[in-house]
Amino acid sequence: MKKALVLLTAMALAATTFAVEVGKPAPDFTATDINGKTVHLSDYKGKIVVLESYNSDCPFCANHYKTGAMQELERDMASKGVVWLIVNSVNPNNSSYRTPEQARREFVDQKITAAAWIDDSSGAVGHLYDMKTTPDMYVIDKNGVLVYAGAIDNRPQPFGDPRTANNYVRDAVNDLLAGKPVAVSQTKPYGCAVKYAD
Amino acid sequence: MRRIGILFAIGCCLAALTARAAHTQAKLILSADTAKPGDTIWAGVDLKMESGWHTYWKNPGSAGIATKIEWQLPPGVIAGEIQWPLPKKLPPAEVTTYGYEDEVILLVPLTLATNLPSSLIDLKANVSWLECKEQCIPANTTVDATLNVGGETKISTDAALIQSWQGKTPKSGNSLSAQAWWETPATNDTRSLIIQYFPIATLERLIIDTADFFPGASDNFEIQAVTENLPGNASGFRLRKLVKKYSGDWPKEIGGVIVMERGGNREGYEIKLPVGNQAPAGEIAAITSMISTAPTPALPSQLLWRMLLYAFIGGLILNIMPCVLPVIALKILGFVGEARSEPRRVRNLGLIYALGVLISFLALAAIVIGVKAAGHRAGWGMQFGNPIFIVCLTTLVTLVALNLFGVFEVTLGGRALDAAGGLASKHGAAGAFFNGVLATALATPCTAPFLSIALGFAFAQSATTIILIFLFVGLGLASPYVLLSWNPAWLKFLPKPGAWMERFKIAMGFPMLLTAVWLFNLAYDDYGKHVLWLGVFLVIVAFAAWIFGEFVQRGRKRRGIALIIALLLLVGGYAYALENQLRWREPMAETDTAGSLKESPDGIDWQRWSPEAVAQARAAGKPVLVDFTADWCLTCQVNKQLAIEIPSVRAKLKELNAVAFVGDYTHFPNNITTELNRYARAGVPLVLVYPKNADAPPIVLPEVLTPNIVLNALNQAAQ
Repeated sequence: MKKALVLLTAMALAATTFAVEVGKPAPDFTATDINGKTVHLSDYKGKIVVLESYNSDCPFCANHYKTGAMQELERDMASKGVVWLIVNSVNPNNSSYRTPEQARREFVDQKITAAAWIDDSSGAVGHLYDMKTTPDMYVIDKNGVLVYAGAIDNRPQPFGDPRTANNYVRDAVNDLLAGKPVAVSQTKPYGCAVKYAD
Repeated sequence: MRRIGILFAIGCCLAALTARAAHTQAKLILSADTAKPGDTIWAGVDLKMESGWHTYWKNPGSAGIATKIEWQLPPGVIAGEIQWPLPKKLPPAEVTTYGYEDEVILLVPLTLATNLPSSLIDLKANVSWLECKEQCIPANTTVDATLNVGGETKISTDAALIQSWQGKTPKSGNSLSAQAWWETPATNDTRSLIIQYFPIATLERLIIDTADFFPGASDNFEIQAVTENLPGNASGFRLRKLVKKYSGDWPKEIGGVIVMERGGNREGYEIKLPVGNQAPAGEIAAITSMISTAPTPALPSQLLWRMLLYAFIGGLILNIMPCVLPVIALKILGFVGEARSEPRRVRNLGLIYALGVLISFLALAAIVIGVKAAGHRAGWGMQFGNPIFIVCLTTLVTLVALNLFGVFEVTLGGRALDAAGGLASKHGAAGAFFNGVLATALATPCTAPFLSIALGFAFAQSATTIILIFLFVGLGLASPYVLLSWNPAWLKFLPKPGAWMERFKIAMGFPMLLTAVWLFNLAYDDYGKHVLWLGVFLVIVAFAAWIFGEFVQRGRKRRGIALIIALLLLVGGYAYALENQLRWREPMAETDTAGSLKESPDGIDWQRWSPEAVAQARAAGKPVLVDFTADWCLTCQVNKQLAIEIPSVRAKLKELNAVAFVGDYTHFPNNITTELNRYARAGVPLVLVYPKNADAPPIVLPEVLTPNIVLNALNQAAQ
């Protein structure tokens, strides 16, 4: 049964792998955030949206938060009117899973300034966007078109200061705001595997 | 004092951190205790991981990070590139990574300068890795080892361990004749890539369970983990991989490791290939000619010898396979009749028999080469799918049985040989030669163990190799008889010639008659109920044979009239029964009987085989049994009766909720030929058991089955 489910998921995945494509409309989703609020991606039409696949136990994500680089980026983006959505797809059986209550505490402790933290323990949003790693980043423009997918920066390390790296998300958003086409629109994501349910 | 306290506290924390991260233990081992200047020794970074934890390969895959070694070496010592042992694919499927579980030793060559002074030197490295189970933890540690630089080279106690891990690193893939090309045009960010190769060097382990490709790391594109094994041709493998492009142009070159697995044995081959924009020119034609005429990449002579040995042993075993047993009767009879004659004559008869066998095998080889040159797939025993052949052979075997019963004698055709060689009486020489031909004709539906390996190999080779292999099978088949004929002393246990010989001859006619009935039964598939007319024809032939024997050969008067009557009977019987009623040269179209193929009410619920049906059953998490069989394959029938369609296996299949498929190879459907080629078999039987874990490769059962082999495989499949 479990195997069959995995297979079904894999098949569903294979079907969706090509649903997400840079330069094409980003697929809409309906999800619930850690406060129980319903989030529709389509609600943010007219604004730039950043999706971040998140797992603070993953040393790559942890490094971005421990050094404060990620919070800085979130604040910077927020000041430019960008909507930042955290997507946590860790399944409930994994030790890195956060209950909504734990997540709310972490949201405060980590000084996160995202618009919402989506509780995606079912993996629906993660699979829809074919998120592979944490962190795996997506930038969607004001018209709802996916303009960037991939790594957060060009420094695939769980140590050191991410600020020294070339941040692809910041570059993509700045290109959009400057009315230019996004220069680097796709990179290979790095990090830990997303802890999807089997 | 306070500062020391703080330092101490920090030290504690660091120690605690390391301890928390220590799900992996690292140490440095060396292949030598003492080495001379100018030597290259091997260093091994040995990573031992706790159960469930893994570290990563040089290309970590969709996530993770490769283990890194930063050397701190004294001057005069230079570290080379890491030699990575073959990794495994690690789950989950949607984020496949490549790495190691339990233990890995990363090997690095260290070269000592020729002017290195004699001394004890300290070799140090900082090793950093990411270890993952449910969570991932980055860790690093410094490892070190001492090496004595002196006037001699002395290996260490770890040398054997290092050597065993060297066996797990990929070899050069130059011998694979690999090619890569884009299967699809560049329309979006994903494109499908075909990698084709010909695993000549691994043919000794002919039956390969899985073939896979582990790509090297790349920034601008990613060769995804899923590998699709496409039907290649007899000797080649073809893999389809999806490539996702992130930036820049589509890659012009790809690199990585081809991994072939058989049983628990894995072999890797490092390749680097230019990527063509389309399939190589004349791909289809190329494959055909590659099999038949084109020079196959140089064949290691050792391998050829081994295959010839297999061919010989296989031929030897053919002597006792069920389809050849009736001919053995003839052979023994021949011995009893001839053994008391002068030794030279007996020897010559043995050689003539061998000649009959060898010439028949040469004819078979010629047919195989011809069929291949025509671009078709050849299979062992393929003539048994041809109804015309079956009708001829049935008639022939019936005549042989009648001959044994003494209805008529064989004296035809001996004159030419007699005149040419002055060897023996007409009877003996012609009979011996004919025995050889008949033994070969009946041997073909049987694939003996060893023979399938040699034939699977032969069918993919050049014409010369095919001929060689076939000749060796023939030699194996003929050798016991030839040996005995040169050492008639070994036959002392046989009674003196006498009346018993006539009885023995008649008794041996019955197994021959049984063979005729079996062949007759094969014809049913092609002619349906019209097969009755084949029976009528056989009776007419028998009647004509009796008239010939009784009134022409043994008769005194009017022998001419008797001969004419016999001939008229034959011609009339042929014209009416075979041509007019049976229409033997135009068998009716094959009918596809649908539904369950159950043979008895409580029998196994066989389903018709198709790759899709197997995939479907596996997707449902069921173990699968596949029996590739053919009506003309006696080994298959014996296997089924003794080891498959038996109560214990029926019960086991029910208990495991397994699905049983039968693939009927009687008429050589192409999809089954492809499947046989995939397991490097030239013919049936082929019995596969697929584990219920849909990712696991099937278990390939041996040719000759026992109930235990089948039950064990099923139990294994259910785990």
